[in-house]
Amino acid sequence: MSNDRVRVRGLSIYRPIIYGNTAEVMTPEERASSQFPDHTHRWTVAVRSAASSPDSKQVGGADDISYFIKRVTFKLHDTYAVPNRNVDKPPFEVTETGWGEFEVQIRINFVQESGEKAVTFYHHLKLHPWAAVGSGDPEIPAPEVAAKAGPVHSWQYDEVVFNDPFQSFLNVLTQHPPTPLPKLKRRPIPFHIANPASISDTKEDGTPEFCVAMIEDEAKRLEDGRKLVVAEAEKWRTILIEKEKELEALKAQVETS
Amino acid sequence: MTSGASAADVRSILSLPAAGPSSGPSQRTIPALPGTKARRSKPEGISRELYALIGPSAPSLSAQIAKPKFKQKPNLGGGGKAVKEWREFKNSARGDSMRLSHWAKASSDPDAEYPFAKYNVKSQALNYSQDEYTRLLEADTAWTKEETDYLFNLVAEYDMRFYVIADRYEYPGGEPRTIEDIKDRYYSVARRLMRNRPWPSDESSKNQALQGLQYDKDREVTRKKYIASLENRTPEQIAEEEALYVEIKRLESNERRFARERDELLRTLAGVESGLASVAIATSADEEAFSSLFGDGKGNKKKRGLDLDSPVSAGPGMISLGAAPATPTRKVQSAKSAAQDALHCIHRLDSSSSQVTKAAHQPVYLRSFKMAAPKAGLAPKVHQALGELGINHTRMVMPTRENLQIHESLIEAASSLVETKKVVDKIEMELLVLQEQLKERQTGTDKKSDNMDEDDVGKTEDADGEADDADADADEDKGERATSVATSIRSNGNGRKRLKRSMSMSSVDTTATNATRTGRKRQKA
Repeated sequence: MSNDRVRVRGLSIYRPIIYGNTAEVMTPEERASSQFPDHTHRWTVAVRSAASSPDSKQVGGADDISYFIKRVTFKLHDTYAVPNRNVDKPPFEVTETGWGEFEVQIRINFVQESGEKAVTFYHHLKLHPWAAVGSGDPEIPAPEVAAKAGPVHSWQYDEVVFNDPFQSFLNVLTQHPPTPLPKLKRRPIPFHIANPASISDTKEDGTPEFCVAMIEDEAKRLEDGRKLVVAEAEKWRTILIEKEKELEALKAQVETS
Repeated sequence: MTSGASAADVRSILSLPAAGPSSGPSQRTIPALPGTKARRSKPEGISRELYALIGPSAPSLSAQIAKPKFKQKPNLGGGGKAVKEWREFKNSARGDSMRLSHWAKASSDPDAEYPFAKYNVKSQALNYSQDEYTRLLEADTAWTKEETDYLFNLVAEYDMRFYVIADRYEYPGGEPRTIEDIKDRYYSVARRLMRNRPWPSDESSKNQALQGLQYDKDREVTRKKYIASLENRTPEQIAEEEALYVEIKRLESNERRFARERDELLRTLAGVESGLASVAIATSADEEAFSSLFGDGKGNKKKRGLDLDSPVSAGPGMISLGAAPATPTRKVQSAKSAAQDALHCIHRLDSSSSQVTKAAHQPVYLRSFKMAAPKAGLAPKVHQALGELGINHTRMVMPTRENLQIHESLIEAASSLVETKKVVDKIEMELLVLQEQLKERQTGTDKKSDNMDEDDVGKTEDADGEADDADADADEDKGERATSVATSIRSNGNGRKRLKRSMSMSSVDTTATNATRTGRKRQKA
């Protein structure tokens, strides 16, 4: 069609995705059979759709996102054989074993129709359980303790925003509406360092899941913070105005004396 | 007539013979006649006032039969006389310490808050700092800072009663200001301040508040001129105006009647179609009749379209027939598509901002890339402030569009807070420097008065030097000496409240975000 390569102006369309990793402590048997005896954890780093399918054991991934993602490249630490892992079809994930945390560089290439360049971002591979600050828990607990605590999740929600998409690409996107996030919390929520208070919610058993309540919760936290800041600013402004008047008076005094 | 109207009054009005021998006010006569008292005793079911009015000639039978059931009168105050006492009270709304007294129930609490104090509502005084003035308010060159200060003091003093303010307005050396000038300045300042200050609640309430500060000076002046000219008309002019008005109404109705008659005539002569020609001047009632007439028959449609395309179609009939269907469908679509957009995660910009060239295409991005960041100069302090609130400045849990907006306004508010604090610091320093100088000078003059004669010249020079210093300090860029003095004083403990360092957030930070972007593998040798 001739009008397919026309950009739809004034429109932006996004797709909610999550990226991150899960990690589990390897059992002694696994370690014995592994070719790297020093590896302690088995981890999976992935890019998925944000909503979780109701009966699955994994975080996110309810939708197939290959309709707009062509390839995801995970750049692992240089010590791995072939650090650049290209994944061209879903699921977009890499499972490996290792013993250390590092930054994974993730690059998403979009499908041809989008006419968009790749986006690159980083994820800190998390192997050791989240610890509440000041709880006294060791940052890296003993493997037996960590194994008992279950898999470690570290996920970041984000939105891929396409501006003024081509008509053809827009059609593709609208043919695949994303599964909306559940309104309410049904399972534990994924821990995030920006909300350390949520650690108690995340400690519950079960696979974490993203939900709309998390968006509202964050909006509320930010809004509360803003209100505090504005009130504080208001207070300081009155102080400032008073001080200025005082200064004015003092200046006048100095001049006359 | 007052409420004192009595049966005697009524009788005299109705020219009835007096009920009793006395012609005085009946209130007094009735109890004065003990013999008639029994007969006059008020029957049940009739109110005392009514009985006093109509007297014993009341239709007592009907009153007895249709005895109305009234609610019992409320028993207020328990019947007993309330004991009151003369008592002093404190009016918390008073600025001075004047004590007044009033009668109060003895049973009431003598220490209770004066109940009317709460009605003394002060309008919120608006104020601005020097920095805000130079940034936002200096644009209006017709007003100096001093005069604006003077105006705002007056506004605060007279509680925004602009007529009083305009009356008392006497700025020395300033040009005369009309009430419109004053209001215009006040409201424009208020608007600008409100627009630029962080707003505690949401956008719409801000807009509403801004709406309340709207003031259009030109319009106000014209309005007053109109009213003045309206009031200044002579009786002849008013009479003429009314006559003209009646005349035009008459002409209009004539014309309408004529058009209607002609229309009917045409219709009877040439059939329905030709009647359309007059739609343009027909009344709205006629229009409706027409469109309902045409509305049904579908076969008519094409023909009507043709008719409407002819020059005749410029009439209002065109609007109701042709253009009307377009608007509702569009509205319906937008309502429907809003839900559709939400489903597909589509956000449409205003049509005004969509006029971008192809070169300006914004490539795909992750939402979190667009997180707002404070100005580089303020960043450390803003981050510290946010950390204290438990908010991470580099990451968000759910970076949605709405949350990013809130985050941005949070950053803005925090930046303005940090800026304000900086200015307060500066002013405090200047204050301290000036206070020190004042002290020094006072001790200096004391000394001088002790041994006047000898080093008089030297002392004055000294004082001059200090005055210069003071000027320099007062300037924007303070001298090194000023800073050092101020800091040394500050370190003595006259400290302002400093933001506490947050330990928790920063430590979490470093573990996860500030950590190695370099790809360094931890623990690895």
